[in-house]
Amino acid sequence: MKYIIGFFFIGAITFAQTDTIHLLDEVKLYGNFSPQINSGYQVQILSDSIINNHQQSLGNLLQNQANLYFKQNGNRMVSSISLRGSGASHTGVYWNGIAINSSLDGQTDFNTFSANGYNQIEIRKGGGGILFGSGAVGGAINLRDKIIFKDKFQTQINLGLASYDTQKGLVRSQYSNQKIYAKIVVEGNKSANDYPYLGTDIVNENGAFKNYHIKSVLGYKINQNNQLQFFATLSDNDRNLSRTLTSPSNSKLTNWQNRVLLNWKNFGQAYNSSLKVAYLDEEYNYYSNKESSDYTFGKSKNIILKYDFKYFISSHISLHSGIENKYSTANGSSLLDKYRNDFEAYALLHQNPIEKLQYNISVRKGFSSVYKIPLIYAADLKYQLSSGLNIKANFSTNYRLPTYNDLFWNPGGNPDLLAENSKSGELGLGYYQNKLSINLTSYITKSKNLIQWRPETPTYWKPINIQDVMSYGLEFEFKTQQNFGKHMLELQSQYAYTVSKDNVLDKQLIYVPYHKATASLNYTYKDFTVNFNEQYNGKVFTTTSNTQTVNAYWLTNLEIYKSFLKQQLTVGVLVNNLFNTAYQSVSYRPMPNRNFEFNINYKF
Amino acid sequence: MKQFKLLTVLFLVAVLTYSCAEDDSPQLPKGDYEKGYFITNEGPFQNGSGTISFVDETGNVAQSIFKSVNHKDLGSVVQSMALHDDFAYIVVNNSHKVEVANRYTMKSIATIEGDDIKNPRHFVAIGNTGYISNWGDAGDATDDYIAVVDLATNTVTKKIPVGEGPEDMLVDGNKIYVNLQGGWSQNNKVVVIDTSSNTVASTLEVGDVPNSIIKDASGTIWVLCGGKPSFSGTETNGKLAQIENETVTMLDFGTAKHPNHLTLDGSNLYYDLNGKVFAMSTTATELPTAEVSGLDGSYYSLKANDGKLYATNAGDFQSEGSLKVYDLSDNSLKETVVTGLIPGSVVFQ
Repeated sequence: MKYIIGFFFIGAITFAQTDTIHLLDEVKLYGNFSPQINSGYQVQILSDSIINNHQQSLGNLLQNQANLYFKQNGNRMVSSISLRGSGASHTGVYWNGIAINSSLDGQTDFNTFSANGYNQIEIRKGGGGILFGSGAVGGAINLRDKIIFKDKFQTQINLGLASYDTQKGLVRSQYSNQKIYAKIVVEGNKSANDYPYLGTDIVNENGAFKNYHIKSVLGYKINQNNQLQFFATLSDNDRNLSRTLTSPSNSKLTNWQNRVLLNWKNFGQAYNSSLKVAYLDEEYNYYSNKESSDYTFGKSKNIILKYDFKYFISSHISLHSGIENKYSTANGSSLLDKYRNDFEAYALLHQNPIEKLQYNISVRKGFSSVYKIPLIYAADLKYQLSSGLNIKANFSTNYRLPTYNDLFWNPGGNPDLLAENSKSGELGLGYYQNKLSINLTSYITKSKNLIQWRPETPTYWKPINIQDVMSYGLEFEFKTQQNFGKHMLELQSQYAYTVSKDNVLDKQLIYVPYHKATASLNYTYKDFTVNFNEQYNGKVFTTTSNTQTVNAYWLTNLEIYKSFLKQQLTVGVLVNNLFNTAYQSVSYRPMPNRNFEFNINYKF
Repeated sequence: MKQFKLLTVLFLVAVLTYSCAEDDSPQLPKGDYEKGYFITNEGPFQNGSGTISFVDETGNVAQSIFKSVNHKDLGSVVQSMALHDDFAYIVVNNSHKVEVANRYTMKSIATIEGDDIKNPRHFVAIGNTGYISNWGDAGDATDDYIAVVDLATNTVTKKIPVGEGPEDMLVDGNKIYVNLQGGWSQNNKVVVIDTSSNTVASTLEVGDVPNSIIKDASGTIWVLCGGKPSFSGTETNGKLAQIENETVTMLDFGTAKHPNHLTLDGSNLYYDLNGKVFAMSTTATELPTAEVSGLDGSYYSLKANDGKLYATNAGDFQSEGSLKVYDLSDNSLKETVVTGLIPGSVVFQ
C-alpha cells in the first residue's frame, strides 16, 4: 500500500509543471466505441505506436499498458481476464466490432491473440450490453484496423531474439491511395520457453510454444458515399502446457482461429450505415499426452449479420440503431452437433441539448432458439462542470447468455440455464489539460444468476444459475507529459481497487486482486527512448473461503530503443522482470525469471 | 546465534538422556500422530498440493501435517494413504509418486517414483512387498498395471499388467483383489493376483464400475459397482457383488441407481446412493429399500470404524471440506471436523 501511495506521489510532482502539447489525440471513432455514444463511459485507446513497438501477445500488452488483470497459467499459457471483478467470460472482446469471444466457453484466451498489426485497441470499462451484446458486463475490448484512403506505401520488418530460445518475426506491408487500401501482416513466434522456476531446481520443461498469425485488410472507396471493407485473420497456436511446482506435464493445446468480415459502409447527408457479414471459425485440440495422437476437441462456426444505422435528426439529436443475427454451430468430443440462432436489436438516442451536456438512453432486446434473452436498458451522460473538468455517469443493465459448454457439455450440460443478468452504475470525474489528464471513477455492479459449475455427483459437475455477486471499486488514471528542450518525459499511472464478493459466502471471489497498479515512465531524447514499466499485482485468493492466497508481487520491465537512418531503423533491448522477482499469477505456476529481448525494426 | 546452537545442543543432550532413562518403559509415545486418525485431502486438482489432516483422541485437528513436519509439499492430488508396519504410504496421483513416511511422526523417509509409477491410485502390502495400482497414461486403456514394490528398498521390482483403471485393492491371505473401475472410462472386472508368483491368477466379471471392495468377518468379499453413468451413453444399473471362493453373485439396484463408497461396521454394510446412506446386514439376501435416517448428505467418501461412520464432504471443491462423524448406535452426529481441500479418505491409526 505504501508503494501505491508512492505512485501517486510521483504523479503529483510531475503534475506541477505543464505546458501546451495535446496529450489526448482527438481520434475520430465511428463504431460502437466512439466517445460520442459512450458519453458517460471511460474509453481508453492504445495507439499504433504502443501496440507495435515490439511483438507481444494481446494479454501482455493489456496487462502492461492498460492495468488490466489477467490470470495466467504460466508464461504464454492460457490467460483469462477479470475486469472490474467480473469473470473470465464477462469481458466482451471484439474484432473490428464483431464479438469474438469463444462460442464454446464464452471466454477469450488473451495469449492466443497477437496484439501486433492493429492500428488501435479500444478499451471501454463498464457494462456495455446495449451496444455490444452478451458478455460485455465488466467491459469491452475492440481490436481495430483503421482504413484510411491516403497515398502511402510502407513495409515494416520486425525481428526479435529473446531468452529461452525465443524467435519472433513480423512483416507488415501497407499500400494505399485515394481509392484503395491494402494491408497484410504476417507474424510468427517460437520459443522453448524453458525458464527456471526460481527458488527450485525445476525447469518449465513442457512450456514450448509456436504460433503464427496472418492478417489482411482491404478497402475500396466506391465513391464519396460508399466504402467496401474486407478483413481476414488466421491464427494458429501450438503450446505445450506448463507443469506446476508439484505435477509434471506432458500435455499440449492447439488453438486455431479463422475470421473473415465484409463491411459495406454507406454515408448520406444525415445518416451513416454499416452492413457487416462475418464468418468466425474456432477450434481447439487438447492432447493429454503430447506424444499420443489421441486428443479431445471442440469447434464452432459462426455466421454473423450485423446492420448499424445512425440518423442525425438535428445537430443535437441522433438516433442509433442496429440489428444482429448470429447463427452458430458447435461440436466436439463432449458436444454433439448443436446449433443456435440469436437475433438481437438495439436503439440508442443521443442528445446534447446544451453544449455542456450530452446523454444517451438506450434499449436492447433479443430472441433466441435456445433460451430467453432479457430486455436491457441503459442511460449515460457527460456534463462539463468547468473548463477541463467533467463528470460522467452511467447506469446499465447487462446479460450474459449461456455458452455451448454450459448448455450441452456431456456430462453435465444444462439446457435449462437462464441468461445471467446484472445492473451497473458508475460515476466518474475527469480533468483534462493540455499536458495532463486525471480520471477518477467509482462503480458498482450487482450480478444475479451467474452460472457456476457445481458437483452434481462425485463423477460429474453441472452448471446452474446460482451465484450472486456484488462488485464495486475505484479506478484512478493519471497521464502527463513534460518537455525540456529535446527531452520529453511521459508518465502514466493507473490504479484499481476492486471488491467482488459472493453474496452467500460474503467472501472475495478467487483470482480477483483488491489492488492492481501500473506506472509507466517514458523518456525520449532525439532518437533515443527509455521506457520503464512497473506493475503491482495485489494478492489474490485461491480458495472460495479466502484462506489461501497467491502473494502480491511487483514487476519491473525496462525497454530501451534507439533509432537510426531517419527513424527507418530502430534497435531495441528489453529486460523483462528486471529484478528477477519470483512471482506467480496462478498458484503453483511460476512466471519467468529475468529475461532479455533484442529486436530490430526496419521500415521502408 | 552461537548461544542458540549451544542451547540446542544442551536440549538434545537432555532429551537423549531422558530417552535413555525411559528406555525400559513401553509407554514412550512413538510420535505426535500415534493415536487418532488421518484425513487425506486431494488438494486442488492442478494448481497446488494435497495435504494430510490428523484428528487426535481428544478431537483436536492438525492440518497439513506432512508439510509442517517435512517443510515440503506432498504433491498434486493426494489420492489415498495406507498404513503398513511403521510406515505410511501416501499415494500422490498427479505427481506420480508414493511418499513413504513414519506413520507416527510423519517424518518423510523415502519416495517411490520414477518411470514405473504413473498415475498411482492405491497401495496395499503383504509382508515386505507393496502393491500400487497405476492407471499409466490416463488416456491409454492398455497400459494399466500393478507395481510390485520391494519395501526394503522402496523400488519397483515388477509391473503386473491389468485391464483398464485399477483402483481399490483388498488383501485376502496371499491374494490381492483389484477393482478395475475403469479410470476415466468404465470397466467391470475384479482381478485376483497371486502374490506368490505376482501374476494375475484369475479375472472375475462383476457389475460396471466397481468402486469399492471390503471383506466381512466370514471371509466373503463384497464389491460395490456403481454402474455406468448416463453420460457414458449406455447407462447401466448399480450392483452389489458378493465373491465367495471366486464365485460371483450379484444384487441389482435397479434402473439409474449408482451407489458408491461401500464400508463395513461389524456385520453391517454401509454405502451411499443419491445423497442417502443405506445399511445392509452381511447376511441379508436383498438390498435395503429405506435409507438410514439421520445420515443424509452428499459425501465424497465414507468409512465405518468401531461403531462410527466417518463421512467427508468436499463442498465446492475450491475451499476446505468437512468430515462428519456419526455414532452408528443411534445415527446421531457426534462431531464435525474442518478438513483440507477435497477430503478423499479417512485412515485409522
